[in-house]
Amino acid sequence: MIVAENLTRVYTMGRVEVHALAGVSLEVAKGEFVGIMGASGSGKSTLLHILGLLDRPTSGSVTIDGVDVLALSDHQRTLFRLNRLGYVFQDYALIGELTALENVYLTSLVRGAPKDEYIERSADILRQVGLGGRTDHRQSELSGGEQQRVAIARALMNNPSILLADEPCANLDSQTSKSILDLFARLNEELDQTILMVSHEEWHKEYFCRVVTLRDGVIGDMVECRKM
Amino acid sequence: MSAVFSGIKASTFLAWKSIQRGNRGTLALTIMIIALILVNLVFLPSIISGVVVTFDTQSIDFDLGNLVVEPREGSQYIEDVAVLQRKIERIPGIVGTSPRIAAGVTYSYRGRIAASTLYGITPEDERSVTKIADRMIAGEFLSNGDTDAIVMGTTLAGREGEEAGGLPSLQGVVVGDSVEVAYPNGERRTYRVKGIYETQSFSVDTAAFVTGREMSGVLGLDDQASMILVKTGVSGREDAYKRELLSYGVQEEVRTFREKSGGFVDQAVQSFNIINTISTLVSLIIAIVVVFIVIFINTVNRRRQIGILKAIGIGQQIIINSYILQVLFITTVGAIAGIGLTAGVTTYLTAYPLVFPGGPVYPDVEVSAVLQSVASLFAVSVAAGYIPAWQIVREDILSAIRG
Repeated sequence: MIVAENLTRVYTMGRVEVHALAGVSLEVAKGEFVGIMGASGSGKSTLLHILGLLDRPTSGSVTIDGVDVLALSDHQRTLFRLNRLGYVFQDYALIGELTALENVYLTSLVRGAPKDEYIERSADILRQVGLGGRTDHRQSELSGGEQQRVAIARALMNNPSILLADEPCANLDSQTSKSILDLFARLNEELDQTILMVSHEEWHKEYFCRVVTLRDGVIGDMVECRKM
Repeated sequence: MSAVFSGIKASTFLAWKSIQRGNRGTLALTIMIIALILVNLVFLPSIISGVVVTFDTQSIDFDLGNLVVEPREGSQYIEDVAVLQRKIERIPGIVGTSPRIAAGVTYSYRGRIAASTLYGITPEDERSVTKIADRMIAGEFLSNGDTDAIVMGTTLAGREGEEAGGLPSLQGVVVGDSVEVAYPNGERRTYRVKGIYETQSFSVDTAAFVTGREMSGVLGLDDQASMILVKTGVSGREDAYKRELLSYGVQEEVRTFREKSGGFVDQAVQSFNIINTISTLVSLIIAIVVVFIVIFINTVNRRRQIGILKAIGIGQQIIINSYILQVLFITTVGAIAGIGLTAGVTTYLTAYPLVFPGGPVYPDVEVSAVLQSVASLFAVSVAAGYIPAWQIVREDILSAIRG
């Protein structure tokens, strides 16, 4: 469960202060598929970065599964990301020198899992995302949709309690986007995976349990979209 | 412990994939530079060491033996040479002694004149100390009974019509020729050239030898010598043997061949060491710069990748260690290639040695020097690789990802 209270994030650019978040409070229950929407510059990605422990707020608090994550040291935050979070980036963010399989099992290797186990599991996850035949391909040999599926498989590898996705379909055509969203919906429904996804596409709303709309760094609307 | 182990495994994995799938050309070039730096680190000291070894060997084998016994202060000659010889030869570890009478003489040959040192020796004794008798290029060495024979160095004998670059030369003496010698006491003798030797040590090759009996007769000496050369069983322990001689009651001046050389080698070695230190520092600075640039460019180019790794939970130390391991790989392969190149150069220069005035110089590659060079190379490479990796890894995740 995520509990974020009164989050602010101020960027200083020269003499100008930009209030990316101006007091956002949000609770996300386990098993929710929450869409964070809003116009460009509304603070969607900033919120996701803070909840994904990639950035720190200027003020406010964040608790994930009962852990005050803002009180953690950099090393503890790294371990928290490794063990509890899965992050999917807009532009896939794969490691170009690694194959699809290697990209997926890298975090398990770091966690010290047995080799047989992590190879089998990463191959299995790649099969689940429809890339069973592409395990030995490198980033340059995969299409955008395939790369994003590898990124999702990587994010799922360590059974994260929360999957965070920052506009994962932004660079994909609508058909591929739909397949990615179907995959998220399946993970949410079948595995009870908590998902926070940033999007600006209206048609994505049908996949979300709840849509949080940001406007100028504050929550404008919070709408239930479908039954959990 | 298991976290540390899995961290090392992950670093190794990332490093190996980067080496395996990174730019091969850059990798090969970096390895080549490291190899050449190692060659430079090892080669110059090996030549300096070779010069010292050559000088020592030439001095011991042809000029001075290991120790030189000289007259007491105020005396021109050593007295009772036979008794002193027997005393020295009884000392354990002494394998031979050779008394020599030295005189500055003038040689005349077909109207040509040259001045150098003539030694009076006991040929059998000389054979037990020096290897001049083994270096005859024409004719034979002296025998104990010779009275009208002389052997001379190839430089002194010279070649017909050729100057010897300021060195004494009779320009064309061959075996069987007669050479007149004018002694310092005014006596003149004519000797038949029995042999010509070549040691490649210029001080020996510009000298000549007659028997001690002959020279004693000319100079009116009896059981006297200008010096006694002493050959020890083991080279390199001259100071210990010198103390041994003194403890056995040798009253004459005893000097090691290095002392007798007047510190020439020590001074030369000191000068060479300054050059060597500068060369070593320059080589290591080049190594630092090369490795730093390679890793710096590597990390800057992978700034985004490093940000991604951190974002998905890969610790900073794992990322830094992956770069350190890449540096270790490059340095290890470079060092192996460098050792291979050094072996090749050493083999070549052993077959075709550099020619110095003191004789042919063979590279003397000492294992300890190689190990020291390799260790220095690893130390500077790791340091030079660590700094850029550490700098980039400390960067904020989002800034790194955004590039």
